[in-house]
Amino acid sequence: MKPSVGIFGLTGCAGDQLVMLNCEDQLLDVVAALDIRDFLMASSGNDEECPLDVALVEGAVLTRRDEEKLNRVRERAKLLVAVGTCAVWGGVAAMDGGRDGDRARLLAETYGPTGAAYDSTPARALHEVVKVDFNISGCPIEKEQFISALSHLLNGNAPLFPQYPVCTECKMRENNCLLIEKGEVCCGPLTVAGCNARCPALNIACVGCRGPADDANTTSALAMFGEKGIPRDDIVRKLRTFAPMEGPGV
Amino acid sequence: MSTTITVEHLARIEGHAGITVELEGKAVRSVRFEVFEGARLLEGLLRGRSYQDVSQIISRICAICSAAHSLTSLKATEDAFGVEASPQTHLLRDLLYRGESIESHALHLFCLAVPDYLNYPSVVALAADHPDAAKLGLRLKKLGNTIQEVVGGRAVHPVNCIVGGFGALPAEDQLIALRRDLQQGMADCQTAIEILATLPPADFCHTPTVFAALQPPADYGYYHGNRIEMLPEGKANGGVTFAAADYRSLTNEKAVPHSHAKHSLFQGRPFMVGSLARVTANREKLSDRAKKAIQKLALTLPSDNPMDNNKAQAVELVFDVEYALATVERLLNEGLKPERPAPVRPRAGTGTGVTEAPRGLLVHSYTYDDAGRIVSADVITPTAMNAASIEHHFRCAAEQAAADSHQALKKKLEMIARAYDPCVSCSVHLLRS
Repeated sequence: MKPSVGIFGLTGCAGDQLVMLNCEDQLLDVVAALDIRDFLMASSGNDEECPLDVALVEGAVLTRRDEEKLNRVRERAKLLVAVGTCAVWGGVAAMDGGRDGDRARLLAETYGPTGAAYDSTPARALHEVVKVDFNISGCPIEKEQFISALSHLLNGNAPLFPQYPVCTECKMRENNCLLIEKGEVCCGPLTVAGCNARCPALNIACVGCRGPADDANTTSALAMFGEKGIPRDDIVRKLRTFAPMEGPGV
Repeated sequence: MSTTITVEHLARIEGHAGITVELEGKAVRSVRFEVFEGARLLEGLLRGRSYQDVSQIISRICAICSAAHSLTSLKATEDAFGVEASPQTHLLRDLLYRGESIESHALHLFCLAVPDYLNYPSVVALAADHPDAAKLGLRLKKLGNTIQEVVGGRAVHPVNCIVGGFGALPAEDQLIALRRDLQQGMADCQTAIEILATLPPADFCHTPTVFAALQPPADYGYYHGNRIEMLPEGKANGGVTFAAADYRSLTNEKAVPHSHAKHSLFQGRPFMVGSLARVTANREKLSDRAKKAIQKLALTLPSDNPMDNNKAQAVELVFDVEYALATVERLLNEGLKPERPAPVRPRAGTGTGVTEAPRGLLVHSYTYDDAGRIVSADVITPTAMNAASIEHHFRCAAEQAAADSHQALKKKLEMIARAYDPCVSCSVHLLRS
């Protein structure tokens, strides 16, 4: 029997669902292998109650409505997969004031007095609200990792992704190092691989959009940033753009 | 007797929105396009960030429009600092923008809008009966993504576009492969128009509409230009124009309790932006092939039917594939000149950029300090501009469908919302009050 699947978006840019739809060459085969029951962005004929073998959830939790929806999805699903950096880490909405103190002020600034009544809570990653079984990080996720994760799950295996940093892939591509040679704030040493060092290969410093790498030498990387004379605040701010410092706890 | 028609969570659109229409007998008491997308407040979070980080962060407003946000952001920053990007940079950005438009229109037409016309819940269901049409739509969608990958470095959230230029230029072999894909795309567009021309008419909402669009200084397009034209109601010419920097006069935004998207009004009235507005305002700039598509689709301009936005997207699809092919051929003939991004010298001041995102006018305006850090940022998105117009058209459809069953009216309301191709993630990003 085909596994039943639901695909859900909380608050975000819908980029990870878009990447799924961007698997144009595989899309019709992928949907043929699955029993997609609930995918609001792509279908109007959804079953919003049925139990699910797998729930794929993108976006961060930014409203009480998001939280209720996520809890409901968790109840329905045997496996819940956090898809994309917002779901795994909180994403751009969780940077700096998005996560704590400044939120009420920002809301008032943007919407005036009407804003105070809006359903709005500080950005949280999925793991801060429910148990998450697997993570597929990336802003947006990489097609190849998504297809690979699905085929692992279809075969009853856990999807495993590299834990080493972008630097490893960058060296394999023989790119010139933007940090050592040009002194740019490149997040490659601390960011998890899987993008094949897409940005440094285009002479663009890594912005850390995939979130932190478990297998990174943080002390050494910070020392190197220091040697290059990059102010610590700049580094911290850049590293916190897509992911707060705490881990996803999975 | 009063009744309420509710679409709790609108499917086959980007983001989270619903529809509520209250009827009193046959009279329409109220209509609401409800946006409950969470507010990410990215404009506020930009404060203090370096100009180098801005376009990468702000593109995350929306994935489907990420190239539009990225390039509009760069236009605003370059305006603030007086950066002059090279003609080659502008040419490549124009190409990238068309790639996004091709992808977005193909996705919207084939995966989101067309299933309604043929009574399918999704493109997957449609593919079971019409596999060739579905595959054609996906091929065109992929073509748009390939352009974005070649120029922007990634199909969603481009990484290669920076203030002053690009990190790296496309390689010749990428352009050669792209030319082949575009040649296939030319044939696919013709077939797409033939398929779309056979769809049953969507003829249930008629009212004279006010359109607003960017004035392209030369060719029909989305990236170049900095003047906005506002057409008189129900007219295709004789509009008033104003500079991008005066965007506040375009959008007299108003926060409303039922929506996290502020409503934009021009002189107190709703207006429509997007493909139909562009095709209406700039019809004479279209190619012969695109004009033939207008005929084939029986699109009369100016249109009083918001559903015609779907036809206008199809017309743009034809134009953009043809234009992108000409651009790629030109790049291959002339050769790409190796060049570094234009020099950037940050200075204190404000800059504004305006472009045409796939869904319509998009404005970014930033104020920087003398170190090139953001002091404040405004982003006004097409779906925010369209929100009041969507409600206006809901009302018209509800009034004109008084004899319908509630189920039939509900479907019409959904189709109108979808015809706008709303991007709800975008819509919650707004001008600060």
